[in-house]
Amino acid sequence: MRIEGEHIFHGPRQEVWALIRDPDALAKALPGTETLNKLSENKYEGTMNVRIGPINGSFAGKVIIADEVPPESCSLTAEGKGPQGFARGAGHIQLIDQGDGSTLLKYDGDLQIGGRLASVGQRSLDTVSKSMIRQGLESLNGALQVRVTAQATGKEVTYVPPTEAKFAAAVVKDMAGEMLSSTQAVWARLAIVAALALLIGFLLGRMSRRGERR
Amino acid sequence: MSNFVGKRMIRNEDPRLLTGQALFVDDVQIPGMLHAAFLRSDYPHARIRSIDTSAAARHPGVAAVFTAQDMGSFWQPGPLLVPAPHSIEGLIFNKRTQIPMAKDKVRHQGEAMAVVIAESRYVAEDALVDIVVDLEPLEAVTDLERALAPGSPLVHDDLPSNLASFVRQRKGDYEAARQQADLVISRRLVIDRGVAGALENRGVVAAWDPKQAQMTIWATTQAPIGFRNIVAAALGLSEHQVRVIAPFLGGGFGPKIMLSQPEEVLLTWATKKLGRPIKWIEDRQENFLATTQERSQIHDVEIAVTGDGRVLGLKDVFIHDTGAYNPYALTVPLNTQTHTMGPYEIPNFHTEYTVVFTNKMIVTPVRGAGRPQGVFVMERMLDAAARELKIDPVEIRRRNLIPAGAFPKAQGIIGQDFTELVYDSGNYPATLEKAVTMIGYDRFVREEQPRLRATGRSVGIGVVCFTESTGVGPYEGARITVEASGDVSLATGIGTQGQGHFTSFAQLVAEQLGVDPRRVHVVTGDTSQFHWGAGTFASRGATVAGNAINGAAGRVRAKILKLASQVLDTPEPELELVDGCVRVADIPEKFIGLGELAVLANPMRGAVKTGTEPGLEATDYFGPPFGATASGTVAMIVEVDTETMMVEIKRYVIAHDCGTVINPLIVDGQIHGGVALGIGNAYYEKLAYDESGQLLSGTLTDYLMPRATDVPRIEIGHLSTPSPLNPLGTKGVGEAGAIPTPSCFVQAVENALAGRKIEILELPLSPNRLYELLHEGQEA
Amino acid sequence: MSDLVKIAVAVNGARHECSVEPRLLLVDFLRHELGLTGTHVGCEHGVCGTCTILFDGEPMRSCLIFAVQANGHEIRTVEGLGTIENLHPLQQAFWEAHAAQCGFCTPGMLMTLVPFVENQAHPPEEEIREALAGNLCRCTGYQHIVDAVKLAAQRLHQSEAPLGDGEVQP
Repeated sequence: MRIEGEHIFHGPRQEVWALIRDPDALAKALPGTETLNKLSENKYEGTMNVRIGPINGSFAGKVIIADEVPPESCSLTAEGKGPQGFARGAGHIQLIDQGDGSTLLKYDGDLQIGGRLASVGQRSLDTVSKSMIRQGLESLNGALQVRVTAQATGKEVTYVPPTEAKFAAAVVKDMAGEMLSSTQAVWARLAIVAALALLIGFLLGRMSRRGERR
Repeated sequence: MSNFVGKRMIRNEDPRLLTGQALFVDDVQIPGMLHAAFLRSDYPHARIRSIDTSAAARHPGVAAVFTAQDMGSFWQPGPLLVPAPHSIEGLIFNKRTQIPMAKDKVRHQGEAMAVVIAESRYVAEDALVDIVVDLEPLEAVTDLERALAPGSPLVHDDLPSNLASFVRQRKGDYEAARQQADLVISRRLVIDRGVAGALENRGVVAAWDPKQAQMTIWATTQAPIGFRNIVAAALGLSEHQVRVIAPFLGGGFGPKIMLSQPEEVLLTWATKKLGRPIKWIEDRQENFLATTQERSQIHDVEIAVTGDGRVLGLKDVFIHDTGAYNPYALTVPLNTQTHTMGPYEIPNFHTEYTVVFTNKMIVTPVRGAGRPQGVFVMERMLDAAARELKIDPVEIRRRNLIPAGAFPKAQGIIGQDFTELVYDSGNYPATLEKAVTMIGYDRFVREEQPRLRATGRSVGIGVVCFTESTGVGPYEGARITVEASGDVSLATGIGTQGQGHFTSFAQLVAEQLGVDPRRVHVVTGDTSQFHWGAGTFASRGATVAGNAINGAAGRVRAKILKLASQVLDTPEPELELVDGCVRVADIPEKFIGLGELAVLANPMRGAVKTGTEPGLEATDYFGPPFGATASGTVAMIVEVDTETMMVEIKRYVIAHDCGTVINPLIVDGQIHGGVALGIGNAYYEKLAYDESGQLLSGTLTDYLMPRATDVPRIEIGHLSTPSPLNPLGTKGVGEAGAIPTPSCFVQAVENALAGRKIEILELPLSPNRLYELLHEGQEA
Repeated sequence: MSDLVKIAVAVNGARHECSVEPRLLLVDFLRHELGLTGTHVGCEHGVCGTCTILFDGEPMRSCLIFAVQANGHEIRTVEGLGTIENLHPLQQAFWEAHAAQCGFCTPGMLMTLVPFVENQAHPPEEEIREALAGNLCRCTGYQHIVDAVKLAAQRLHQSEAPLGDGEVQP
């Protein structure tokens, strides 16, 4: 499946690049990241707890960065595997200076999903993956702003990323948003969000039947 | 004049089913029972580098975790379940049977790699997550044509290619016929996979009792006896140490005919090893991934016709997808071959197919079992010819039907029972006329359709003729016993999955013995009660087992009359069997109850004459020389909403001939069910795989099975040309509805959209696909 | 292992007090804890309807409800509808119209239809099919089920005696 999009980062391009190439910062910024290690200059590996509804799934993955033109662009290939299936992707990132202190990040790539995620989650995959990418970039943007502020003021500030629960809820809200037009009543959207969360939860919950992680 | 055969009797088994008192496999509860869950591959094709089950084994509540390695010498490829048709000249068959679990390599998504046995299914599934598998993904073989291209990845590394089989059969000389033709048309037809979709998923409970040295198995199997034999052989047990019970089954439809499923055999080994009963019930997702499925073929067809639409010959070259293994040999494509000619006079027929291995789940019969594809081929080619020659579709069929007096008719092609296809009886022209009359074809085409079209509505009609091979051998058997109570017990080897055997078989016994069918107690599918037989498949239960039952009942009747004659001191011709008694005709006060007679026939003391068999009991077997051919014509009127692409079936008519009917209520029900599946195969059901072999439609929200609002009211017209192949004259009917329906649907939709000049050459269709075809057509 | 939760559920009029895991599905609770195996499992994702029971009188999928959610509620399963000796008119109608073949979807069908037939004397065919649309059947093609519903609705609202001789008129 094809994914592409863009996101505005509130910081200079050099800082955005530095953030992306800093595994510790990434690990702290992306909700659910358990470990993220640099294996070499261009290779990261890590585990991430992906949560959709009450489903917990730990994905182990690798990211390889190539064709670097700092701070402009790079391509990356990624691979992740977990109990719910696997994902493989290859893509391209471009950073464009907006001239007003902000940076436009453009991304495009191909994502291949397999296992239960593909056979059970078919109808939500598109929206969910886009939403997760957007949420992740939002969070990174938050981390970026904190970092930039810290540099400017000289004070240490720690970025607190959204919790996994909030992250998951935001994904569900995005799914509901896609299904309803903006002229719908707010209460209808909330009802759909709740029902969807329940449905996804049960749907995916039935796949793994996992309760608390031990 | 029959008393019970032909009666619309309501079923003996219903009260239990209706009140939730019937035993299905998942209802079996045994103290100490453990539960299994399988770790299945996410990848369609991968090398297994390592599997580490140690963490899973330590998971609380887990009794054991097994991989292929742990099974030691017990791990081996299963037996070939159905032989290949070695009587066909030039056959190529590369046997690759299923394995209990993947060892070095995974060959389809969903193939089992490990099994966890734990206190509950919940705990077992928890522990699955702790198994660490290192898989090296390989490129998957998914496209049927690329599978044979040089350089293609190999599903089986020990074979030079993905060629599983090649079969060519010829009748007459197609090439010569082609020269004589006024018109030769060729088409490519593509048919894709669907599932059986029984509401009950597969399951097994295996219990080894070491003290009695007895293995008891409850399984969702259509072949309990075959399964028993395979388990006994695999475990080194005597067949009498293994009891397989097929209790009530929530639908079979084909995939449960696998004489052994990998999961089932593996768990019999595991129960023996652990010394505790083990239950495994498949969930719906596993059913989509790892239960057998069917229909995928690509046909390149050519038809040679005269100017007035008579078929001189047909040539069909097709590729058949068998999936990752081929334990069921060639049943499905053989059926396709034997059902392409259908009820038509086809003097020259060249049919050949190549079977390829792919990295998908294996293909074995699903209701229809290859026949729908054959019918699709012929019906589409006739429609193409009709269109070009500007002949009415019904008329072109009339001109080609085998006439009524032509039976028995040898068709020169070998079928799934390895004998030459011979049509035993039928009246195809009458069947066609009946359907045409019932649907009001002439009036619709001349008046209604033009009138509705003038108002902008897209309505269409389709008429399709088909044959259906049923009642194939080898044989079935039955044992009937009159009991002391006067009730009669009947045991037969085949199983029941909803076809009403408990009733139709009782009717057969009642007919011969003069008892109330409610007092005939039928046991099916329990190897400890009857252990000879092949199973329920190919619409053969009522015909083959039915005739064995009829035969056994006849023998019991003879014993009753002989003994009663002595007891009542009356010659046999003056005796009659009525209301559970033997009585003297014209002297009703002189009688003896069957129960009393049965007691007399089984003395507990005294001496008996040499050669006496105790009781009023007999066993009989029946095996036909070849299968009986049922037939029919389906007619359908549809309306297509050209904005939503939804198709409404406004009328559905089927004229069907299955010879002698034992219970018309049950026959109607079988037809209805088959039609519903056929509608699914036509427009709603597609098992979608992506190019890399990933299953995309793994839930019932993605794979759409017809609901009550999708199936029309079905009007059935019965005809009967009894089969000369068996004393009852029966033919099967189980698959009747499924076989012709997709072809008729496609013809009717094309007819509805006639102004748009589209031609539908694929199955299944769908609203999305129809939209694409319509818009492609407009651009062309 | 999570802590067990105490629940009290009324099933077919009998009160049951049990301790269950929070994640235990209602259908598994009914089938395995209570031994009421009449309710069946077909898909575990709420589509096929074979697990349908009455939850406070409303048809619901028991595969989409946790047992703990049934605490304090009333459940009615097919075992509470009728017995072999004393069938509910809907079960009797199913029998006479040959609405069950393998019987696996049947309990779920019955529970979905009970409120429907109790509320309608002469439901039109289209409405019956709509009412059934949430229950999949792979065997019958639905026609005889529709016939059974018509028969049951008619009888429930007119107190007609059922045919007693074991034959149904086509």
